[in-house]
Amino acid sequence: MTLSHYLAVSTALFLIGLFGALTRRNILGILMGIELMFNAANINLAAFNRFLHPSGFVGSAVAVFIIAVAAAEIVVGLALVVAIYRAQGTLYTEDIHLLKG
Amino acid sequence: MGILSLTIFLPLAGALILLFIPKEKTAALRAVGVAATALAFLVSLIALFLFDPSQPGNELTMRLTEDLAWIPSFNIRYFLGVDGLSFPILLLTTLLSLLAAVYSMNIQVRVKEFYFWYLLLETGMLGVFCALDLFLFYFFWEVTLVPMYFLIGIWGGPKKEYAAIKFFLFTLFGSVFMLLAMLALYFASAPHTFDMMALAKAHASFSREFQIIVFLGFYLGFAVKIPAFPFHTWLPLAHVEAPTGVSVILAGVLLKMGVYGILRVCYTILPAGFEWFLPFFVIIALINIVYGALCAMAQTDMKRMVAYSSINHMGYAMLGIAAVSSTGFAGAALQMITHGLITGALFLLVGVIYDRAHTRDINAFGGLAAKLPVYAGLMSLTCFASLGLPGLAGFISEFLCFLGAFPAWKIYTSIAVIGILVTAAFFLRMLQKVFMGPINEKWAGMSDMDARELFAVVPLAALTVLFGVWPKLLLDMMNPTLSLMARFFPDMFQGLR
Amino acid sequence: MTLFENVHWIALLPLIASFVILFLGRDDSDKSLLPYVGITAMGVCLIHSLLILKGFLFGGFKPYYRTLPWFSFGDFEMSLGVLIDGTASFMLVVVTLVSFLVQVYSLAYMHGDPRFKRYYAYLSFFSASMLGLVITSNLFVFFACWELVGVSSYLLIGFWFEKDGPAYASKKAFITTKLGDLGFYLGLMVLFACAGTLDLNMLAARAQMGPEYLPQQTAALAGILFLVGAAGKSAQVPLFIWLPDAMEGPTPVSALIHAATMVAAGVYLVARTYFLYAASPLAMDAVAWTGLATAVLAAGMAVVAYDIKRVLAFSTVSQLGYMMLALGAGGYTAGLFHLTTHAFFKALLFLAAGSVIHAVHTNDMRQMGALSKQMPSTFITMTIAALAISGFPFFAGWYSKEAILHAVWLRSPLMWTIGVLTAALTSFYMFRLIFLTFLGSSRDAHCCEHAHESPAVMTGPLWLLAVLSVSSGWLLEHNGLFASVVHFGAEAAAHHSEGGLHAAPAWLPWAALAAFVSGLAAAWRLYAREDLSLAAGIKERLTPLFAMLENRYGFDRFFLMLVSASDRLASALAWFDDQVLDALFIDGWAVITRAVSELQGLFDDLFVDGAVDGVGIVTRNAGWGLSRLVRGQVQEYMLYAALAVSLFATFLMTR
Repeated sequence: MTLSHYLAVSTALFLIGLFGALTRRNILGILMGIELMFNAANINLAAFNRFLHPSGFVGSAVAVFIIAVAAAEIVVGLALVVAIYRAQGTLYTEDIHLLKG
Repeated sequence: MGILSLTIFLPLAGALILLFIPKEKTAALRAVGVAATALAFLVSLIALFLFDPSQPGNELTMRLTEDLAWIPSFNIRYFLGVDGLSFPILLLTTLLSLLAAVYSMNIQVRVKEFYFWYLLLETGMLGVFCALDLFLFYFFWEVTLVPMYFLIGIWGGPKKEYAAIKFFLFTLFGSVFMLLAMLALYFASAPHTFDMMALAKAHASFSREFQIIVFLGFYLGFAVKIPAFPFHTWLPLAHVEAPTGVSVILAGVLLKMGVYGILRVCYTILPAGFEWFLPFFVIIALINIVYGALCAMAQTDMKRMVAYSSINHMGYAMLGIAAVSSTGFAGAALQMITHGLITGALFLLVGVIYDRAHTRDINAFGGLAAKLPVYAGLMSLTCFASLGLPGLAGFISEFLCFLGAFPAWKIYTSIAVIGILVTAAFFLRMLQKVFMGPINEKWAGMSDMDARELFAVVPLAALTVLFGVWPKLLLDMMNPTLSLMARFFPDMFQGLR
Repeated sequence: MTLFENVHWIALLPLIASFVILFLGRDDSDKSLLPYVGITAMGVCLIHSLLILKGFLFGGFKPYYRTLPWFSFGDFEMSLGVLIDGTASFMLVVVTLVSFLVQVYSLAYMHGDPRFKRYYAYLSFFSASMLGLVITSNLFVFFACWELVGVSSYLLIGFWFEKDGPAYASKKAFITTKLGDLGFYLGLMVLFACAGTLDLNMLAARAQMGPEYLPQQTAALAGILFLVGAAGKSAQVPLFIWLPDAMEGPTPVSALIHAATMVAAGVYLVARTYFLYAASPLAMDAVAWTGLATAVLAAGMAVVAYDIKRVLAFSTVSQLGYMMLALGAGGYTAGLFHLTTHAFFKALLFLAAGSVIHAVHTNDMRQMGALSKQMPSTFITMTIAALAISGFPFFAGWYSKEAILHAVWLRSPLMWTIGVLTAALTSFYMFRLIFLTFLGSSRDAHCCEHAHESPAVMTGPLWLLAVLSVSSGWLLEHNGLFASVVHFGAEAAAHHSEGGLHAAPAWLPWAALAAFVSGLAAAWRLYAREDLSLAAGIKERLTPLFAMLENRYGFDRFFLMLVSASDRLASALAWFDDQVLDALFIDGWAVITRAVSELQGLFDDLFVDGAVDGVGIVTRNAGWGLSRLVRGQVQEYMLYAALAVSLFATFLMTR
């Protein structure tokens, strides 16, 4: 298993997440896509740590941080989702365009 | 505080006191206004006893000087002083201010403002004649401007706003150039100074071309005030529209600022520029004399006629200056005083009849001499003085102007005497139409002059006679200074001697 | 010599009197003692003058000269001073005597005038100025007094100013003489520029030192300029036009000012400055020809006038011309002699004419006639004066005219011929006046029937003057008395001795007598009868000549043209000043300035302000355009971000 394998997996994962985030109409789906992209990044971090600096742990530590941040982020995100739902009565992005120019 | 400062700022103090008096108390306002001018006059009379006209040495000695630093960083000083040229005009100013203030007690509207502006004006005029620092000179020069604007613009005749703005713009136009010329002198002098005495001493260090340009700047400023052709057209209008007392000040004092400036600044500081301009200057003087007189002859409004006669009379003073000789200078300096007295009285007298008849049209009257003997007598006396009758002051000054100018400018002087004839013609025509012939029944109920009017006019008439019979009183005061000034530049003005 | 030391009081006393009269008293018609103040002052002056004259004639007085500084200007000084010589002493007596008599005469003549008091103040003022002119040693003071007599004349001609005639005449007199005065004025300057003084004594001394001190051109120029002044005051051609009109004044005034004294001032000026003329033949000739032209032209005008005072006025002009002629011909003594005698008989003529006018209340001789019975005193005295002026032998005028014609003959026989012709004309018009007034038939009953002799205050002066008119010539000519006192230095003496070489022929005096007789005879033939048709017939035949004379040779019209031309010029200039210089150029500047500032305002609005606004508009519009791109779709933003990141990443990787 070389680094390239890990990177390929994480790339695939990132692209899936990106695709999901860009195409899902439901905000919850977008959040899930974002979670996927986080995790793709985590894989990258862990893989680079393992192959480039096997003795170090900074990559793994950052990955742990990201998991924590992602948890926090999803909390805020879901809170917003709830708030949006209450205000707008919908979670479909095409109906939420308050910032339309 | 020196006596000159006291004279200058007494009217201003009066003006400030006026501000604390309610505007309904017109009697008090008038009293303060007149009292301030009277005090200034008294103080100037005291100064007469302190004033020593002699001029020892070869440089101008100023008397009663006061010299304080004002804006030291620019070497601007509060520098006052008088000599035989300025001191008689100073006395004339305080006298005319007093008399015109008394006469103006008939002003009914906005009395408080009137006297406020009037007193401010007096301070400015007195300052101009005492200032020996160009910056201070300019400061006072401009101080006269604004009060005059309001005095004409508020208390004037039907076209007062037009007249006031015209006067203001005209004068400002001139003084802008004067300011530039002043600054040029300041920066050309080393060390930089506005001191007229110092600049006069340094005149040789200014190149001829520089002097010519700077001269023209000053000349524009002074020519408007004199008023010299073709900058005279504000004068008939301003005189006609201004209230009587203000006309007196305008003709009696303000015009003198121009002639005084020519002698004090243009001649002493910029002799080379003056020498260059002299041929033009004498022609302008001639135009002033003949053209002014002829224009006056065509007028039917008495006040307008007197106004044009002022242009003519100032022409005599210019002619005297153009002689650049002690005789001519004496004539010019004397002419300033006598014109102030005579024309002041003329304006007052025209005001007297206007107050009664509400017209100044020469053709509207007739035969008044039988009805108003005192008025007719004073008017005749003043008119005769103005046309240069011997025994009255105008004769001596006119004669000296001509006598001085004749050796230098024979042809021009010979032509200029026509002005005398024309002056006689229009004054006599006016006397004939107003006082002689069958009486116009419309004015049968007209009353002769009252005490206030007599108080204003009689001193002027008396002085006119006094100086006509005994001109020594004035000439002895002026002579040392003017003789010295005529000797200032022995190697210049050669063509005239 | 207290007479000389106090001589200035001769001028000052009447001056004080005039102010006393003017300022004391309740009103103008005051008939209190005030007029006597003037008369007394003049009487004192008369006595003083007579004493001085006596001293000169019999006491061997030398000319007296004293100065006192008046004022100094520049490097020069002007002095007041007195210079009394024989000429001045005679002039003093003439002025004070005539002045005194006229003042006495006026007591009756002006009685009841509403401005009686003021009349006396003016008269005294005139006398003061005239006497000042006589005694002064300084030409500047001379000029000053000269102008003051002019103004007194103005006031007195216009004394009855309620009427338009006097009002106009006074102005005309003043302006016309002022025109001449300009010459005098310039003459003063010419002399001063040359000599630095105007003192007569110093100038004369300078002239004596020779032409390097007083160049001939200067003398000629000054002399001619003074002549112009003298022509104005002494009514010489062409400036005589004011004198006939001056007759609008009260008749005693005409007698004093416009016959005896003021009009002689011009002659006196030439006499006082005779050193100039002596130094310049050109100026001398100018004086002579001016005088001659005046004498003959004025005599012609006198022949056709019907106003009794105008006849006398023209006669005055003519006689003044005679005096000028004498001076110009070198007859200094003769000219001044005539001045003296003329003053007496001409004053008499005027006062007598005044007496007539007082009686008949008209000036027109055509309405008079046959007054000799009603007014015997006036008739006799006036006839004596007429005889004197016409040159009746042994009367005053005979001597002086003889002396003049003698001097003129020596100068030029042509001038002499014209002079004799003038004498004939003089005799003719004087007797025409006498005959028309006193003989013949009464032509206007309304005027003449109430005529009566005037009171004694009026006839008294007439008789006194009549005595002088008869006797003064003989008294003064006798023993060469006048010539011993009034002569012009060595110069004139030389002239006389030179004249002695080719002395005048013996028949010379007879020619003048012939002129007198022929004039008298012609007047007798034409006017001394009841039927004046012959005179009318002559007038009929010579209409153009008469028209020319009555029009005063067109001089009046010429000057009126001059006046109206200068009026038009004045109006044009005033229009130019008001409408062109002021309205166009000065206010034009204002208009231009305002137009420019309007343009600037427009520029400011359009361009400067527009640029600022433009930035705002562009920004706003750009913002609006760009905001179209923002559709509020969060996933689009994300897409852009992803694209941007990938672009950035690509950029990093391919670098």
